[in-house]
Amino acid sequence: MNLSRRTFLRSSVAASASSLAGSLVGPASAASDTVTIASVYDLSGPFDVYGAPSNMCTEFAVKELNKAGGLLGKQIVLKAYDCQSDINKGPQYAQQAALRDRAVMAVGALTGAAREATRPVLRKYKVPYFYGSIYEGGACEQNIFCCNTEGNQQVVPLLEWSFKNLGKKLYYIASDYNAPRTFGAWNHVMAKREGGEVLADDYYPLDVTDFTAAIAKIQAAKPDFIHSCLVGGPSMSFYRQWAAAGMLKKIPIVSIIFGGGQEHEILAAEETNGIYAAYNYFQELDTPRNKAFLARFAETIGQNHAYINGEAIGGYNTVMLWAEAVKRANSFDRDAIMKAWESGITWEGPGGKMVTDGPTHHTTQDVRIIRVENRVWRLIATKEQIQPDSYGGRCDVFAHPNQTEFLMPQM
Amino acid sequence: MDQFVILCFAVVNSIALLALISLGLAIIFGMMRVINFAHGEFVMLGGYATVIANHAGVNLWLSMLVVAPMVVGMIGAVVELLIIRRLYGHLVTTMLATWGLSLFLIGAVTAVFGNTTMGVSAPLGNIPVGAYSIGAYQLLLIAITALLVVCSLLALHWTKYGLIARAAMQNSEMATTLGIDCDRVYAATFIIGAAISGLAGALLAPISGVLPHMGAAYVARAFVTVISGGGALITGFLSAATILGPVEALLSYFATPVVGQASLLLLAVIILRLFPTGVSSLWTGGR
Repeated sequence: MNLSRRTFLRSSVAASASSLAGSLVGPASAASDTVTIASVYDLSGPFDVYGAPSNMCTEFAVKELNKAGGLLGKQIVLKAYDCQSDINKGPQYAQQAALRDRAVMAVGALTGAAREATRPVLRKYKVPYFYGSIYEGGACEQNIFCCNTEGNQQVVPLLEWSFKNLGKKLYYIASDYNAPRTFGAWNHVMAKREGGEVLADDYYPLDVTDFTAAIAKIQAAKPDFIHSCLVGGPSMSFYRQWAAAGMLKKIPIVSIIFGGGQEHEILAAEETNGIYAAYNYFQELDTPRNKAFLARFAETIGQNHAYINGEAIGGYNTVMLWAEAVKRANSFDRDAIMKAWESGITWEGPGGKMVTDGPTHHTTQDVRIIRVENRVWRLIATKEQIQPDSYGGRCDVFAHPNQTEFLMPQM
Repeated sequence: MDQFVILCFAVVNSIALLALISLGLAIIFGMMRVINFAHGEFVMLGGYATVIANHAGVNLWLSMLVVAPMVVGMIGAVVELLIIRRLYGHLVTTMLATWGLSLFLIGAVTAVFGNTTMGVSAPLGNIPVGAYSIGAYQLLLIAITALLVVCSLLALHWTKYGLIARAAMQNSEMATTLGIDCDRVYAATFIIGAAISGLAGALLAPISGVLPHMGAAYVARAFVTVISGGGALITGFLSAATILGPVEALLSYFATPVVGQASLLLLAVIILRLFPTGVSSLWTGGR
C-alpha cells in the first residue's frame, strides 16, 4: 500500500521538478546542447497505477542515456506532463510539447482513448510517437512506433498455451469497452485454431463491484479455465469474491492485463495465487541482462521503486529504441528516425531481444507466460521472437504511407 | 438443485447489498428529510477505517464492527455541527453542500492514501454447495444486514428514543412544546445514520476493496432504493430492495450485467410512476 503512495508522491515530485527544469531551459533550439523529449503518462487519477511506474522507467532511461554522454553530443531533457487520467489532456500536452518545448519525441497517452486522441496532434507536428503500452493492436501509421506487445503477441501465445495445458473450455469475463472486446474476439479465433470452445463472453461495466451473479454463472458453466480482461479498481472485487467463494484453487484464471496495474501486490496473496499472465517482461526474469538492469535501476531510482511489470517496462523500452534509431540515423529528425527504424534495429533490452519491424512500425519480441505465487511471478513458458501482426497486409506503412485509421483484427 | 441454491444465494445477496448500502441513507433522509449526497463517501470512509485499522494490527472484526462505525459516526458529528445543522429545511442548499462535502472527502482521501485500491481479504473461507461453493463471509454479510434492519425497526418502534425520534420527525413543533430538544434528536439521528453507513462500508471492504471514488458506485443505488421505498422508514426501503435486488441479480445471471443494471433503474422508474411517493404508500396511505 505504501508502495503506491510513495510512487505517486515520487512521480509527482519528479513531474514538478522536471517541469521546473523545462521552464528554465525554455524552448530547446537546434543550437543548444540539450534536446527535449516529452512524456504524457497518467501520474494522477485512476490510471496512475499504470502511468506512474511507466514514467518512472522513462525517467530512468533518460538518466541512463545522459550518464553515458547523451545522444549525438546532447543531453536529453525529459518534460514530463501529467495526463491526469483525462483523455483531453493527452492532445493538449502533446501540442504544448510540440510547439513550446520543441520536443523531438513523445511517449505516453497510455489508454487506447488517450492514444487515439493524441496520435493526430503528434502526426500534425511530425513529432515521432513512441507508444509503450500493451494494447490490442491496429495503430498503423508512419508517425507511431509501438514498442510493447500488441494483441496477437500477448493473447495468442497465452491462449495457445492455456488450451494445451489447462483444458478446452474457456470462459471470458471482461470489462465493457473497446480493448477487452477486441481481445475477446481473439478467444474465438484461438478456440477454433486449438479445437477449444468459448463458453461465454461476459462483459461488465467498469463500476461493478458485486460479482456474485457472475461467479454463480461461471460455476454453472463449469469451464476449464477463465480468461479475464477485467480492468480498474472496482473490477478487482472479482478476484476477491472469486477467492472468497473458494474457486481460485478449482478453476485457473489467465489474463493479459492482470499484474499490469500491480494487482498482484494490491490484492492479498491468497486472492491471486496461481493466476497466469503473459508479458514480454516481468521483474523476476532471471537473466544476467535483467539482473544488471535492475541493479542500475536501484542505484539510480532507489531500492524501493514500484514493481516493474510488463506495462511499465514500455516506459524504458520506448526511449531506448528511440535512442537506437537516433544513433543509427545520426539525427533527431522524424523522417530520419523513421528510416532508421524501418531498416530493422536489433536491441537487447531487459526483456530480451527486440527487433524493429519496418512495414508495421511494431517490434518483434519475446513473450513469457508467468504465474504468480505469493506475490512473486514465476516463469512458466517463453515464446521467442513473435512477429507483429501484419493485419493481412493492411498494417503496412510502405504500401499505405498515409494510413491513419485504427485497424480491427480480421476474424 | 445446487444451481438453484447458488441462484437463490445470488438473489438474497443482491437484496442484502442494496439494503446494507441504503440503511444509513434511509435513516438520515427518512427522519430528517436531509438529502445527503456524501452518503457514498461515508460508506467509503468506513471501508478505509477498516482497512487502515486492520493493517495497523487491529483485529479484523473489531475494525469492521467497532472502529469503522465509530470513526464515521464522529465524522458525521462534525459534519452535522458544521454543515447540516445550519441548513435544516433548505433542501436544495443541503444537497449542494453535501455534494461539495462528497467531492472534498474524495479529494482528501485521494491526497492522503493515493488513488489506488486497498483491501483486506475476506475471512471465513467458503462453504461447498454440491459442485459449487459460496463465500461464507457473504452469508455472514446477509445475516448482519438482516440483524441491522431488525434492530433499526425495533429501536424505532419499541424504544423511547425511537418514539421521540418519530415524534420529532412527524411534528417537530409539537415535539418541541412537549419538551423535546429536536436539534439534539436530529444530531443523534445523523450520527447514527453516518455510523451505519460507515459500518456498511466496513462490511463491504473485504469483498470489494476500497477506493477513494468507490462511493459513486453506491450512492445512486442507495438513492434509487430509498426513494422507491417511500415514506415508511425501514419497511419502505426494505421492500424496494426486495423488489429491485432480485430483478438485477436474475437478469445479470440470465442476460448480461448491463441488462441487470438497466432493469433496476427502469423498474424504479415504473415504481415511481405507479406510486409517486414510493411503494410504502401502499400501506401508509401515501403519507
